[in-house]
Amino acid sequence: MFSERERERYKRQMMLFGDEGQERLKKAHIFVAGAGGLGSPASLYLAVAGVGTITVIDRDVVDQTNLNRQILHFDRDVGRKKTASAKEKLQEINPDITVNAIDIKIDETNAADLLGEADGIVDAMDNYPTRYLLNEVAIAKEIPLFHGGIHGFYGQATTIIPGTTPCLKCIFPKSPPKEVFPVVGVTAGFIGTIQANEVIKFLLGIGELLTGRLLIWDGMQAHAEEICVERNPACEACGGMAKKTPAGKKK
Amino acid sequence: MTVKIRFFARFRELFGADIMTDVGAGTMFTSLITTIAKKNPEGYTAIFDEKGSFHEFVILMKNGKRIEITDAAKTQVMDGDEIAVFPPVAGG
Repeated sequence: MFSERERERYKRQMMLFGDEGQERLKKAHIFVAGAGGLGSPASLYLAVAGVGTITVIDRDVVDQTNLNRQILHFDRDVGRKKTASAKEKLQEINPDITVNAIDIKIDETNAADLLGEADGIVDAMDNYPTRYLLNEVAIAKEIPLFHGGIHGFYGQATTIIPGTTPCLKCIFPKSPPKEVFPVVGVTAGFIGTIQANEVIKFLLGIGELLTGRLLIWDGMQAHAEEICVERNPACEACGGMAKKTPAGKKK
Repeated sequence: MTVKIRFFARFRELFGADIMTDVGAGTMFTSLITTIAKKNPEGYTAIFDEKGSFHEFVILMKNGKRIEITDAAKTQVMDGDEIAVFPPVAGG
């Protein structure tokens, strides 16, 4: 059931998918791993879309150097915990949803518990070791992982449905070296928004997901292209999973 | 015969987007990329390690199909092939 305020708030999108679709969004719980460049636009768009429960996790403090791209955080937030800043903004932009913010580093001991009963994970991390952990949890819980990565004017995104699509380890078996990466905010905005769009389609069970395809965005050329990606039968993360019929539609 | 080499992300910054190159019959994937990369020292070290092997994180594709690094040295390139070389993009 929706309040009058919710009906007004979501009116223009309920024209697309009706009460039933909006109800699906409301009942959903999405885990956003990282409240940085990708996590900012992804969580903001999920919040305004009415995803009922959003859990944001991050262990960092807002730094001045974050502000060119991490649009959840304002100049006044420098020095604050990103989780506190993120929760405040998301709750202000949509008071009708539940926002959880967890200030912790994701590691192998806590990842599965932190994820709880989430319906999907937005990969908004800045390193591959943690991404691989999220990938493992997504496989174990059989929930989608919405991957994104950015560097400079370049970005990549793909939607991982465990058992159906290649997992992150199938596509990127080895981690690149850690670096302080150059980036413009619009690249984060572009890729983070694609991730949010994928989450919304997945929850609604509509459209074609970015599955089995790695989208590569070149902002310098204003050109997006796709590379087909395939499961690796010998993948150390998902190789043992039986192939499923293509999913993407929520029960 | 002509082969198209496509770089993405950081490798594209170093080498440009697409390189069309003439290759002799029997040219292997690794030797082709090595020859191209050697023209750009910074680019070379981004793709290859000090032993001249691909960095383990580099993704190689030929006509949309993944080529394992261990197979690249014995994979021939053919006329009209499209080759892609790129790193995983890590930032968030």
